[in-house]
Amino acid sequence: MRQVAFLVALLLATAAHAQTRVVVGSTGYFTPNVYAQSDAEGYVNGCQTYGCMGYYDYHTGELVPMLATSWESTDPVTWVFHLRHDVTWQDGTPVTADDVVHSHWRQMNDKLTRQVSNGKDVKTIEAVDPHTVRITTNEPIAPFLFAALDRLTIQSKHVYDQYGADLADREHPVGFGPYRIAQLVTGQRMVLEKNQASPFAIPTSPDQLIFQVMKEPEQRVTALLNGEIQIALYVPPHMIERIKASSTAHVALGTGIENNFLIMNPSIKPWDNKKLRQAVNHAIDKDAIIDSILDGLADRLDGPIGPGQYGYDPNLTPKYSYDPARAKALVKEAGFPDGVAVELYSTVNRYTDDKQTSEAIAAMLRAVGIKATLKTPEWAKYSADAEAGRIGFYYLGRGSVIDPSPFLSQYFETGVTTRTMYSNPELDKLLVQERATMQPEQRKIVLGRAMSLLNDDAPAAFLWRMRLIAGIANSIDFTPAGTVGVRGNDITFKH
Amino acid sequence: MTERAFPKIRLKLALGLAIVLAVLAVSLAAGWLAPFDPDEQSLRLALRPPIWSGARAVAGHVLGTDQLGRDILSRILYGARVSVVIAAAVMLASGLIGVLLGTISGFFGGWVDYTLQKLVEVVWAFPPLLLAIAILAFLGQGLPILILALVSQRWIPYCRVARAQALSLRSRDFVVAAQAIGATPWRVISRHVIPNLLQGALVIGTFTMATAILSEASLSFLGLGVPPEIPSWGGMLADGRAYISTAWWLALFPGLAIFATVFGINLLGDGLRDLLDPRR
Repeated sequence: MRQVAFLVALLLATAAHAQTRVVVGSTGYFTPNVYAQSDAEGYVNGCQTYGCMGYYDYHTGELVPMLATSWESTDPVTWVFHLRHDVTWQDGTPVTADDVVHSHWRQMNDKLTRQVSNGKDVKTIEAVDPHTVRITTNEPIAPFLFAALDRLTIQSKHVYDQYGADLADREHPVGFGPYRIAQLVTGQRMVLEKNQASPFAIPTSPDQLIFQVMKEPEQRVTALLNGEIQIALYVPPHMIERIKASSTAHVALGTGIENNFLIMNPSIKPWDNKKLRQAVNHAIDKDAIIDSILDGLADRLDGPIGPGQYGYDPNLTPKYSYDPARAKALVKEAGFPDGVAVELYSTVNRYTDDKQTSEAIAAMLRAVGIKATLKTPEWAKYSADAEAGRIGFYYLGRGSVIDPSPFLSQYFETGVTTRTMYSNPELDKLLVQERATMQPEQRKIVLGRAMSLLNDDAPAAFLWRMRLIAGIANSIDFTPAGTVGVRGNDITFKH
Repeated sequence: MTERAFPKIRLKLALGLAIVLAVLAVSLAAGWLAPFDPDEQSLRLALRPPIWSGARAVAGHVLGTDQLGRDILSRILYGARVSVVIAAAVMLASGLIGVLLGTISGFFGGWVDYTLQKLVEVVWAFPPLLLAIAILAFLGQGLPILILALVSQRWIPYCRVARAQALSLRSRDFVVAAQAIGATPWRVISRHVIPNLLQGALVIGTFTMATAILSEASLSFLGLGVPPEIPSWGGMLADGRAYISTAWWLALFPGLAIFATVFGINLLGDGLRDLLDPRR
C-alpha cells in the first residue's frame, strides 16, 4: 500500500514538474555572436535571450516596452529612455544604462557586425544615471525608435569586459530575457530554457524552446507531421495540402513583411542603363508567377512596399504593368537591338520557391531579348558577393519592412550600402527629409515621393511579399506575423 | 573461373554495352527524340502528371511536366548529354593524368616516386565530395569547372594502378632489353610500359564514368553542379525533391535515368574486368 502511495506521489510530482517543450523547425543560421547576423529571426532571438529595450509586436502594430518602461523625445534629435529598476542579468548583477551604451558600441564596432545600419544615426549615447539612457541623433530621425528598441540586442558590459567578445558569446551567454541559451551549436541547433528569474518570463509559455535547423521544407513538414517538431516555419505553398490533410497539425497564415525584389546594380554593366532596368520591370508577369508557382499565396508589389506597410500609397506612380511588347521596345531603345546577355543570380531554398520563380523570370526576360542565364552559387558566397556589390542582378528578400525608411536607406542611399551601389542625390535628399519630418502625414508624402522616384529610376524590380505560412501542431496555438521569428511568449498550449 | 562462367560475362558485357550505347545514342539524338524544347516553360501547364495517371495529365507530355511546365521527358533526354559529356571528359582527363603520373612514379622510383605518392596521399585524404564542393565554391559554377572538380580526385585510382604495374614492368625482360639497346626512358615508357597497363586503366575508366555521373548528380542536387539552365539529371532530382509527396514524377524519372545509366556502366566495367582477368 505504501509503495502504491509512493508511486502515485512520484507520478504527481513528475506531472507537476513536467517540462513543456516546443521544437521549431527553422531555416535560420544560429551563431553565438548576435551582432554578426541581421535576419529577422536573429533579432527576435537576441531579444528573448539577452534582451532588448522593447520590441515591435506585429500582431498589434505597437512597440512593446521591455527593459525600457517609457521613452520620450525631448527635442527633434534627442530621445530619453527610462529603464526598469528590477531587472538583473542571469548572474544576479543589475541591468543598467551602461549595458545599453556598451551594446550600441558593440553593434557598431564588433569585428563581425552586420548591424551598422541600425545604429548609424546615433550621434551620442550616454548613461545619464543607471536607469536613464539619452541618445542624440545626427539629425532628426523619425523612425529611429524602432531601431533603438527592436533592433538592438542588449548584452552585459561586465561579462564582455571580463571575458572578451568571443568567450563571452560562446561560454557565457548571460541575458535578462525570458529565455536563456542552454545550448547553441552553430548552424544547427539552439536550445532555450525559460529564465524563471526574468520578469519577462510568463507562466503560459513553453519551458523549453528548441530551434532545430532543417534546411529542407520537406524535412520540416515531415517532422511536423511525425510529431518531432511543433512549429514548421517557411512552409512552401505546395505543401499546404499535406498539412491540411493531417489530423495532428494545421496551417497558420500570417501577413508577410518580407519584400522580394531583383536588384539591378547600376555600377555593373549593363545595369547602368535605366531603360534596360525599366524593361526588366515590364517583362515580368508577376501575377502569373504568383498564381502558378506561388499558389496565390503572395501579394504583388507595385513599388518598394505594399498594403499594411507604413506609408503605402496605392496611387504611387509610375507602375509597371506586364507588357512584353513595351519591354522589348525598351531593350531596343536602351541600345541593344540584338538583345543583351545578362546573368541572373538566385538563391536556392532561402526564400519560398526562389529558384523556381527565378527560372520563370529568366524565361520571361529571354522572351523580350534580355538573355538571362541563371546562376545559383552557394549562399555564403552569394551573400558576400551581393553585400560587396560584386554581382549586378540578383534576387533578394528584405525582411522586417514595417516602416520603409531603414529598408530604403539600406539599399538605395548613397554611402550606406554597397549592395546596390545605387547613388542618386535627389533620392538621398528625400530620404534625409523624410527622416526629419516628425509629422506623420507630411512624412508619408515625402516617403511617397522617394518611392515614386525609385520606381521610375528602377534600381530594383519589386516583385511580391510572401504570406507567412507555418505548420503548427494542434497541441499549441501560434500564429506567425511579420517575421519568421518565434517568440516563446507568443506560444500557448491547448488543454 | 570456369569456362561455364564465360556466357555470363558475355551477357553482362552485352547488357552493359547496350545500355551505355543507348544512353550515348539518346544524348546524340536528343534534338530529334525530344518532343519539346527542354527549356520551354508554361506556367499554366505546371506540375501535370504523366499521361497514364489521371485527368490533369496533358497530351504530349508523356512523363508529365515540372514546376515550370517544362516537359520532363525532353529534359531527361537532353540531360543525358550532360551525363555523357561529364562521364567521358572525367574519364579521359583523369585517365591521362593518372596513367602518366603513375607510370612515371613507378618507372623512375626514388625521389620522383616518393614525391608523387605523397601528393597522391594528400589529395586522397580529402573526402571526395568535400574537395569538389570547395573547388566549386572557390572557382564558381560551370561545366568545365565541374569537370575539373571531379577530375581533382578521380585520377588517383589510375595513378595507383599504373604505378604498381609500372613497378613490375620495369624489371621485365623486354623492358630491360629495350633499355640495354639504348632506348630513352620516354621511348620505353611510351612503347613498352604504357601499352601494357592500358587494360587495367580501361576497367578503372568504366567505374570512373559511373562515379562521375553520380558525383555530378550529388553536386547538382546541392545546387553546385551544372548551371541551372542546362537540364541535368541531378538538377532535376534536386528540383523534384521539394515536390516528392505532391508530384512524384519530378524526381522519379531522372532518378531512374541515373540508376539505369550507372547500372549499365557498372555491368560493362564488371564484364570487362572479368574478361581481362588473367586468372580466368
